[in-house]
Amino acid sequence: MAQLPASGLAIRRMSASSTPAPGIRSEGPEYAKLVDISRCIGCKGCEIACKEWNELGIEPTENFGSFQSHRDLSADTWLLMRFTEVEVGGDVAWFIKKDACLHCAEPGCLFACPAPGAIVQYENGIVDFNQANCIGCQLCVSGCPFDIPRFNPATRKVYKCNMCIDRVEAGLEPACAKTCPTNAISWGTKEDMVALGERKVEGLRARGLANAVLYDPPGVGGTHMMYVVPHGDQLDQYDLPADPTAGAGALAMLGTVRKLGASALGLGLLAAGLHYLGFGPQVPEEDAK
Amino acid sequence: MRHGEIQRFTFLERIVHWVVGLSFLFLLLTGLAFSHPRLFWLTTLAGGGATARILHPWMGVAFTVGGVAMFFLWIRDMRIDAADREWLKAIRYYAVHDKARVPAAGKYNAGQKMFFWTMTALGAAYLVSGVPMWMPGGVLGVGPFYGGIVNAMRLVHYMATVGGGLLLIVHVYLGTVAYPGTLGAMLHGSVTRGWAKLHHPRWHGKESGR
Repeated sequence: MAQLPASGLAIRRMSASSTPAPGIRSEGPEYAKLVDISRCIGCKGCEIACKEWNELGIEPTENFGSFQSHRDLSADTWLLMRFTEVEVGGDVAWFIKKDACLHCAEPGCLFACPAPGAIVQYENGIVDFNQANCIGCQLCVSGCPFDIPRFNPATRKVYKCNMCIDRVEAGLEPACAKTCPTNAISWGTKEDMVALGERKVEGLRARGLANAVLYDPPGVGGTHMMYVVPHGDQLDQYDLPADPTAGAGALAMLGTVRKLGASALGLGLLAAGLHYLGFGPQVPEEDAK
Repeated sequence: MRHGEIQRFTFLERIVHWVVGLSFLFLLLTGLAFSHPRLFWLTTLAGGGATARILHPWMGVAFTVGGVAMFFLWIRDMRIDAADREWLKAIRYYAVHDKARVPAAGKYNAGQKMFFWTMTALGAAYLVSGVPMWMPGGVLGVGPFYGGIVNAMRLVHYMATVGGGLLLIVHVYLGTVAYPGTLGAMLHGSVTRGWAKLHHPRWHGKESGR
């Protein structure tokens, strides 16, 4: 039986579970993080706060011609500020992306996971990996439209940002939001954050950034980390998919094919049984004598 | 081999068969556990979810090695000829044990030959679709496979599993309870003369020197 997560939060969805999630109570509102890219000064304090609070292993930084600390996310790096230099109107602009789990309302990782209870989604919107149930298949990595989960070969488990679930459960904001010196990261109810994001977008548009948008992609049911993107017409330069979907393509087909497959195998067993009842064994006559 | 019986499979053939058969059973049960939440408990038989996940690809290696050996061991006898086409036309009589209307089979009937060729194709499908899921980060300079490739391979792997599972049901059913005496061919290697005459008359004739 799947081990329940340490958190006592009400559960909305559990991976690979054919029965409904155990939660019948709903605990208050959904929470969300709002990242205003236009306010980020690139200090990477949030990266440190994330490592400190979650006690993640230290990985040496590397100078590869970018302001970025590491090349990629890892099982020990759940948050990475990505820096891309882009030419905008004959000028150079710095596109910064806070790369971490977006906590989708329709989580592709959870739908792809074959291990019961290895991925849970709480009623507050946070998607959490419960490594006690993880079997290390990494199918969540392929199910994620944002390429976030990372495998640790030593533990054979997959890890990602858990939105500081232990802090949130205690009524605190995530460590990254707490530490941000410019208030580029806001924390509150999803409703409030959407309203705040829209106000920020209006403000940016008034300042001449006509293409500013609030990134809350509907293809994954919206996210619980949203971005205020100054140059919304260049989402690809931020490494943000324009129209991400949960369980796209083959994964969507798999759901239907599985039902057919299970039926076919069940009918196959039944047919063999009925054939035996109908025709019985065929015994060589000579030997029976 | 038992006294008075006809040798059907050599020691090597039997070993190869059981390497392939037992690994396939393990792969099928753990694979179904990974595909169907209601069957996840099957991983307990393999030591739990994480252990089943680790063992599954290695059992796949055993299945592949055994499968390749089996392919070269038996391919000579598996060519489908004109007699087999006649046999296939009468398959509906075969299915209802109306042996009088089924053309005499040689060492293998056309159904067995088709089983051989279908499993060969499915084995290739398991291998090609399984490796990217096993090593999504890439292997031998190819990859990584994360994302669309893994998801597509997962679909292919599952569909091939259903095909192989259905064939296994037929294979085990016919090889055990439906045709008593058949299992012995894969255990001690031999069959009775009556069995050979009933199921593989042309092979029986050859083996009896007639």
